[in-house]
Amino acid sequence: MLTAVKNQFKISFLTIKYALMREMLNKVTFITNIIFMILNNASFIVQWIVLYSLKDNVGGYTFKQVLLLWGMAAGTYGVSRFFFKKAFSLSEIINNGKLDSYLVQPKNVLLSAITTDVEPSALGDLLYAYIMLFLFGCTFEKFLLFTMFIITGGLMLTAIAVILGSLSFWFNKTDIIADVGNSLTTNFATYPDGIFKGIVKGLLYTLIPVGIINYIPIQVLTEFNLGLTLIVIGFTIFLVTLAFVIFFKGLKKYSSSNLMIARI
Amino acid sequence: MRKYLFIFKSELMSNLQYVFNIFVGFFGYFIMLFILFNLWKYMYSDPNELINGYNMSQMTWYVIITEILWMTLGGRKLCRKICNDVRGGNIAYNLNKPYNYIGYCLSGHLGSIAIKGLIYTVLGMIMGFIFLGNFPDLNIFSILAVLITGILATAISILLITFIGLFSFIIEDANPFYWLYGKVILILGTVFPIEYFPTFLQPFLTFSPIYVVSYGPAKLFVDFSFGTFASVLLAQIIYLFIGYLLCTLMYRKGVKNLNVNGG
Repeated sequence: MLTAVKNQFKISFLTIKYALMREMLNKVTFITNIIFMILNNASFIVQWIVLYSLKDNVGGYTFKQVLLLWGMAAGTYGVSRFFFKKAFSLSEIINNGKLDSYLVQPKNVLLSAITTDVEPSALGDLLYAYIMLFLFGCTFEKFLLFTMFIITGGLMLTAIAVILGSLSFWFNKTDIIADVGNSLTTNFATYPDGIFKGIVKGLLYTLIPVGIINYIPIQVLTEFNLGLTLIVIGFTIFLVTLAFVIFFKGLKKYSSSNLMIARI
Repeated sequence: MRKYLFIFKSELMSNLQYVFNIFVGFFGYFIMLFILFNLWKYMYSDPNELINGYNMSQMTWYVIITEILWMTLGGRKLCRKICNDVRGGNIAYNLNKPYNYIGYCLSGHLGSIAIKGLIYTVLGMIMGFIFLGNFPDLNIFSILAVLITGILATAISILLITFIGLFSFIIEDANPFYWLYGKVILILGTVFPIEYFPTFLQPFLTFSPIYVVSYGPAKLFVDFSFGTFASVLLAQIIYLFIGYLLCTLMYRKGVKNLNVNGG
């Protein structure tokens, strides 16, 4: 069992490594993508400078906490899009019968399918995330916690994408629903939860778990809380397991389209 | 001119097939607006309080109009299409066609977003009314002025994005330039009116594309005046000319160096 898991990690790591090497063939484009993504993210600081010139506190967050919230959002986005880019186009892979080539491989179908490509600009998101952490105030413990939270958040975003993408096993045209669902988590992630009230706030900690992906980690990084940390870890395990279960349940319904493709 | 009208019409007809997608896409607009509505509700402790000359209702309507303009535009898709045309060699097919590539991009993209623009405008107005329970003081003339400046703002945005897309002639992937342009417009032009920025920045913003592609139409909607209308319209005509000129120069320079392999 342990050897199988170790082998699977090795294969996924090599797949990501070769996908990255492929992207690095054109170095100018690769570096431009990263730098411009950092600038792209940084432009939002202007918005918050203007808002904080009107009020000292927005939604219970100080300016530095908002920077960290942005870092967390960029980091989780970066992890999910860099390592598991294809999870966000799973609907298209299923609808076009492109899963065939992964089914014949003696490795985990889901992991093989979602790790075949990387998004170079997501490296810009990851770098931006750590720049924000340093602006917030970085200690060794915070660095480790932050790294853990962007990994758990990235895994949760990927799990949500897999769950939404797997709907294509049962229904048609779910790609639009998956796109909307994925953008929901991104849109809410960069605004303090204090500006939302009532049902919406409840939804942010349940159905659209931005609260667990982003808001709780900010609370923990501001003031460490073991209970909240365990909630994040537990919810990550739950969501990832759920994604695997739903995907493999749906896979039984998958029928090949006899599509011939070459994977190089 | 007739051929561009024909391109506009064919794109419009083809997009009528995807009305369902437009309605689902509206959900993203709804969420964005909902977030900004909550943000401004939080920022204004009293709805009648004036911050930089705007009350809460005006700020929300301002954001509704700028977001309609921005979300309708589909700039990312346009930039990606032009980049792919240049990188993939598709642009070569346009060289022997009896139309101008810039005119083709402008009329084609306007056609592809016309239905979306109409639906977003109607639903955006309904949403604004549900959120706020009121409309700004408008008359037939001010509605017409907002419509005219809104359409011109979209045309200018398309030309500016086409110009960015044509950068693919120089650097293989011009999409990152679009991300940056998009964010500048989104932050400096969509979320806040120009009056929210420091006094020393305001003249720069007034002469920048932000004034013509987002601020102008939205300002006319929330606080109409003939003076503002005249200055927005004049600035838009100048920007339309500059945008077209820049695209034409970039295209001419690019195709001179074009090297397409295969067939």
